[in-house]
Amino acid sequence: MSFLDTKPGVPLLESDDLVRHYEVSRGLGKPSAMVKALDGVSFTLEAKKTLAVVGESGCGKSTLGRQLTLIEKPSAGGLKINGEAVGDLSDKEAKLFRRTVQMIFQNPYGSLNPRKKVGQILGEPVLLNMDLGRKEREERVRETMAKVGLRPEFYGRYPHMFSGGQRQRIAIARALILEPKVIVADEPVSALDVSVQAQVLNLMMDLQEEMNVAYVFISHDLSVVRHIADDIMVMYLGRVAEKGPTEEIFAKPLHPYTRALLASAPKIDPAHRVKAEPLKGELPSPINPPSGCAFHKRCPFATDHCAQVRPELRMYEGREVACHRVEEIA
Amino acid sequence: MTNQNTQSTTPETAAAEVVAVEDQKINPPSPFMETWNYFRKNRGAYVGLIVICFILFMAAFAQWIAPFDPIAQDRTAFLKPPIWMEGADPRYILGTDAVGRDILSRLIHGAQLSVTIGVFVVIISMIAGIVLGLVAGYFRGWIEVGIMRMMDTMLALPSLIMAMAIVAILGPGLENAMLAIAIVQLPHYVRLSRASVVSELNKEYVIASQIAGAGHIRQMFVNILPNCMAPLIVQGTLGISSAILDAAALGFLGLGAQPPLPEWGTMLAEAREFVGSAWWVITFPGLCILVTVLAFNLMGDGLRDALDPKMKR
Amino acid sequence: MALLEVKNLTVEFGSEDRPFRAVDNVSYSVDRGEVLGIVGESGSGKSVSSLAVMGLIDFPGRVTADSLTFDGQDLLTMSPGKRRAITGKDIGMIFQDPMSALNPCFTVEAQIMEALKVHEGGSKKERRERTLDLLNQVGIPDPKSRMTAYPHQLSGGMSQRIVIAMAIACNPRLLIADEPTTALDVTIQAQIIDLLLKLQDDSDMALILITHDLALVSEAADRIQVMYAGQLFESGPADSIFAAPRHPYTQALLEALPERSEGHDRLRTIPGVVPGQYDRPAGCLLAPRCRYANDRCVVERPDVGAYNGRDVRCFYPLDDHGQPTGQTTGETV
Repeated sequence: MSFLDTKPGVPLLESDDLVRHYEVSRGLGKPSAMVKALDGVSFTLEAKKTLAVVGESGCGKSTLGRQLTLIEKPSAGGLKINGEAVGDLSDKEAKLFRRTVQMIFQNPYGSLNPRKKVGQILGEPVLLNMDLGRKEREERVRETMAKVGLRPEFYGRYPHMFSGGQRQRIAIARALILEPKVIVADEPVSALDVSVQAQVLNLMMDLQEEMNVAYVFISHDLSVVRHIADDIMVMYLGRVAEKGPTEEIFAKPLHPYTRALLASAPKIDPAHRVKAEPLKGELPSPINPPSGCAFHKRCPFATDHCAQVRPELRMYEGREVACHRVEEIA
Repeated sequence: MTNQNTQSTTPETAAAEVVAVEDQKINPPSPFMETWNYFRKNRGAYVGLIVICFILFMAAFAQWIAPFDPIAQDRTAFLKPPIWMEGADPRYILGTDAVGRDILSRLIHGAQLSVTIGVFVVIISMIAGIVLGLVAGYFRGWIEVGIMRMMDTMLALPSLIMAMAIVAILGPGLENAMLAIAIVQLPHYVRLSRASVVSELNKEYVIASQIAGAGHIRQMFVNILPNCMAPLIVQGTLGISSAILDAAALGFLGLGAQPPLPEWGTMLAEAREFVGSAWWVITFPGLCILVTVLAFNLMGDGLRDALDPKMKR
Repeated sequence: MALLEVKNLTVEFGSEDRPFRAVDNVSYSVDRGEVLGIVGESGSGKSVSSLAVMGLIDFPGRVTADSLTFDGQDLLTMSPGKRRAITGKDIGMIFQDPMSALNPCFTVEAQIMEALKVHEGGSKKERRERTLDLLNQVGIPDPKSRMTAYPHQLSGGMSQRIVIAMAIACNPRLLIADEPTTALDVTIQAQIIDLLLKLQDDSDMALILITHDLALVSEAADRIQVMYAGQLFESGPADSIFAAPRHPYTQALLEALPERSEGHDRLRTIPGVVPGQYDRPAGCLLAPRCRYANDRCVVERPDVGAYNGRDVRCFYPLDDHGQPTGQTTGETV
């Protein structure tokens, strides 16, 4: 078994009907409820590509990130890397897996251990997963620091001495230091200021070119996604609403929810603004999701059929859409 | 809004000052210096620290500072009052006790005992408490339930009575008293470290280390523990004072340090019968306990304010 | 006469001899029925300046201003009690995190009625009716049943609506909204902004919208002011300020937006970071990051000046083509 070997014709990362349920206790005496945070999500990711996972909070995009990095075990469904199924991993396999998939977190203030120096933070993955001596380890850390634009004298400094953007660089360096094939980035720029956000996005794109890494870019910000992603997967309540190439989705969103998302995002340029009624209502509770299409209560196009039958993902105009009425709407 | 009108500097000079200040390259203070600066601003804590340093100094150099041997008896000077009173013996500054021992020397040597008790008790119960609390908070589940319910049971018993019961089983003596007090104090450290671990556990840096492949032991002791130390240090400082107090109480009850050891609580117990006739025999050890405990409490409070980020501006 | 007029507001923190200026000589005014957008990155002083107006800067902070008037009344010289009465009744405030703005121990009804009791009085029945009215006004579905709900039973969007209801309970004439939608999702953000603008329009209220989101203010505000490191950098009407920025910072900020970089391979960035307490430059605060900065910018600090109908804090404001005017390299003008 080897996650590291690429095989021709086999996608780098393949998620097959990934499901994650959480049990939620509702107090004494009541039966515990089942929350379907992730309810059957499939996608493939090729090397050097970026897949953006977009949706509002509670849509399951962060849960997906946790499954992909094996922070949690999926309740059902399979994950394949270079064609090899990721199941119960032995220590040795786990090491290989970690050298394949790494993660960047949203909050650069919480994701760096405040009591450790930058050198120690970056050195940890190397220490745990590679057989390198002290000298070589430091060398590797310094090399990676240079790659992400951190000055060598930062090696002995603590995270609190850095601004948000620099911290996110450190976090990116930590994810990169094992030279993974896939990086799951969970809202990597949403905690940063506009000017710093652009720096970090550019860095991520540069590193993609340099190191051939693929990103799963989890975000709620469509304008950021448009810039960095090759493909977009829009999620709603644990399921995929629409999936397709970025430019196509922006040019002609098919799913009513995708349309609403695009219309809700404010734009600087008056020419870009989409005049549309804002979406009514809020994301339904995942504890008892609506029958039929999860979106039907907020959807302007919903019919009785939508309220009863759940739409499955199907191909339409080269994209995957989960909507009964896509032909009529489009 | 109280001081917007009290600002007397004109805008121009104020601006000039700002520019002057900005010209120097100022680096943010290190975490230690920052804490120290906050600590120093708290006057009570600062005084507490000075008193503690003084007590530590006396304890460390008791052999050389004390004018007399603490257990040597002078049969010519029983119950001599302090030197500022009539009928005092000028050799004995704070007077002598019923068997003619110099009270000052006994107090100085007593500091040695009290500091030792405080520090050892805290070290023992802190180490045990941190390990138990880390395990409980990190693994959760039935391990946590087991450990925490046991600690709750211990807290349900009055601490002094429990200490007495433990000493009664182990037999009276200074070492056993220290052990008993350490056991009594244990639940505080367990609860505190468990609570901090639980709140740290969900932080992203812990998850990041997990993705990097850190095992349980590394997560607990290398990654999480250092971030939980601030409240534990504070509790430890306050714990020293309560250990000294408990040891004095046990000594007073005859279960702690045994005579002729110059432990402050034991000294109080020995002097009980002279409360009416020779006040100094009982007052000075009592004062020593009071001042030491107060100093540790003040310093603990100051440390809490300095280490707690929520109190910082 | 403007409703709120702020002249040279300064807020300092830290020791007297080494102060940190969170807000540095900021002036602005808001008229009745107007939406003023204050936009800036973190550390720009945009929130602190409005807290200072509300009188919510506590002891270590020092607030000074040449004048601070609300509806012709001087807020600086009046007694704290009177000021509280005005800021509580006539100025409403909405904060970023709706969850922590509500007291988790009380029901929605109790919290809104408390706000009414302090400033409006009236019988319990009247207040209850007014509460129901307010909940209707902020678009809460089934307000009767939500009255008895506790904050933890509400979603973020619902909580923010409740907070807005509390803020407008006393019919304020000015509403300050400090990042009201940052904690919310895009679709909910659109709903809340629509609601705020509708309320503002209905009652001819003035609204100060503080945010880091350039696109959001450009859609919502009438006038915009851009702040940086505690200073006002540029202010002007919303429809033109982002179409033709006069300050290099505004220009650079716009270019850094992904929306403006369509088709580009890389985003244009502003190098460096916002200066903090310990690394404020001596000259123009933007000088280390500004692509047009010259020797003068490094040593001398520019003042706010009028230029083409805007207030701009720059020696060389930009022309219509986005090029600095009046700049001859290295020379002090």
